[in-house]
Amino acid sequence: MNGAALKYSWLTYRRDPLWFPPAFLALFAVILLILPDPGARYSIARAYLGFIVPLVGGILAAYGVLDDPALELRFSTPVRAGEILLARVGLILAVQMVCALVFQLFAAALGIDLSPLGNLLRVQLVWFLPTLALAALGTAGSLAGAQTSMGAFLAGAAWLVQLLMNSWLRLNARSVFLFLGVIAPGHPDLIVNQLMLLAGSVVLLLVSWALLRRPERYL
Amino acid sequence: MIEIEGLAKTYGRGARAAQALRGVDLRIPSGMFGLLGPNGAGKTTLMRILAGIVHPSRGAVRVAGHDLAESGRRAAKAVLGYLPQELGMYPELTAAQFVDYMAILKGLEDPRRRARRVAEVLEMVALQDSAHRKIKGFSGGMKRRVGIAQALLNDPRVLIVDEPTAGLDPEERIRFRNLLVRLAADRTVILSTHIVEDIGQTCRDIAVLAKGRVVFRGSPAELANAAAGRVWTASTDRPVEPEEGLTIVSMLHLPEGVQYRLVGPAGPAASGFSAAEPARPGLEDGYVWLMKGGEPPA
Repeated sequence: MNGAALKYSWLTYRRDPLWFPPAFLALFAVILLILPDPGARYSIARAYLGFIVPLVGGILAAYGVLDDPALELRFSTPVRAGEILLARVGLILAVQMVCALVFQLFAAALGIDLSPLGNLLRVQLVWFLPTLALAALGTAGSLAGAQTSMGAFLAGAAWLVQLLMNSWLRLNARSVFLFLGVIAPGHPDLIVNQLMLLAGSVVLLLVSWALLRRPERYL
Repeated sequence: MIEIEGLAKTYGRGARAAQALRGVDLRIPSGMFGLLGPNGAGKTTLMRILAGIVHPSRGAVRVAGHDLAESGRRAAKAVLGYLPQELGMYPELTAAQFVDYMAILKGLEDPRRRARRVAEVLEMVALQDSAHRKIKGFSGGMKRRVGIAQALLNDPRVLIVDEPTAGLDPEERIRFRNLLVRLAADRTVILSTHIVEDIGQTCRDIAVLAKGRVVFRGSPAELANAAAGRVWTASTDRPVEPEEGLTIVSMLHLPEGVQYRLVGPAGPAASGFSAAEPARPGLEDGYVWLMKGGEPPA
């Protein structure tokens, strides 16, 4: 994908949903600013990276492919299903990446120490893997149900259920627990968990790719 | 050239299955080809199959020598241009940006070559002066012309346009029809519509689709002739309900009463029209006769 294609991917994405990531970023930045306690600041920074970025990414990805006014024209071009996925879901992941990195710079400027989450790479994995997994789930859900709300619901429900059942999941289903990296960064099964999240995301994206090869369901 | 053999398409499964196409056979040569039919006849399904978007349930399609089966679909898409019935666009882009983006999607990657081609196609549809205006400010006709411009980017050998004049004012409709005829000089243009007049003004070769089947194939004159001897004009001093089998094609209120144009197997006298005269059939009469279950011309 070249620069012009990236530019148009950005320009053709609906503007309204793209306000959510910077809006959440701004909200949590303000909260960081007004909280005096370093411990509370760390908790908020951790919550933004580990919980909010994945949720927003998952819900936005559900709208990424199908919420396109020129979908029929796009399907009539020789563009491959994989390229459509890369352009539309990749854009969401890129936006979330920018927000996560800007937030980390802001937190560092305020003197918030994120090292309890691990080294720099591990901190990135804390937000990236759950974001990728929920984005893949949102995309696959919207394509399987042929409606964007289905994907958004699945991503939101998975996020909520995992959050509410985090104690149980930590003990009994560690490999599919989205938030192990942020809740228990030193857990001995973290690597396995991260590999499983990555594998699950790849499977869901492959399902999305297969579904997108039959475009008639979405017209 | 497009060759369609035994084409069938069923949506859904089991009790909820809906047959959109039921065995269509067509050979479409170069030039302007009209596809006429009522709403729900299967025209849009056929157009989408030809555009490589919908997969047929059965049958074979070759577009400019490329089989539309999985292996040849990308090659077929590369030689066709498509203007869908519901033309969705990005309103915040300018016409030039939109066409440029479609050019990228169609594989025109060299920026200089692409810019040249975008300018060319916008000029072909007389939009060069509006190229840098946002699409959200365009009229329906201008949007359709942008749609045609993007369809022409790859200099397609087959141009598929589905209901392109719906919602356009008369002047824009005429301009758009003339544009399509010009483009048909060196390629196949398939015009799908339920507006009989559009076909009559542009095509020498047409097919009529009804309930997923081709019920007529020939020229507009042949279709009109299908109703020969079955078209009448009749006047009454008050509105009359014609008997079953007789269809009112048009109705005109005049100072001295009501004038009808009627199509049907029997003369209108039986329905209480006293002064009925046979009329020369037009394309619309032939189409109405065919849709009412009349015999196509031999």
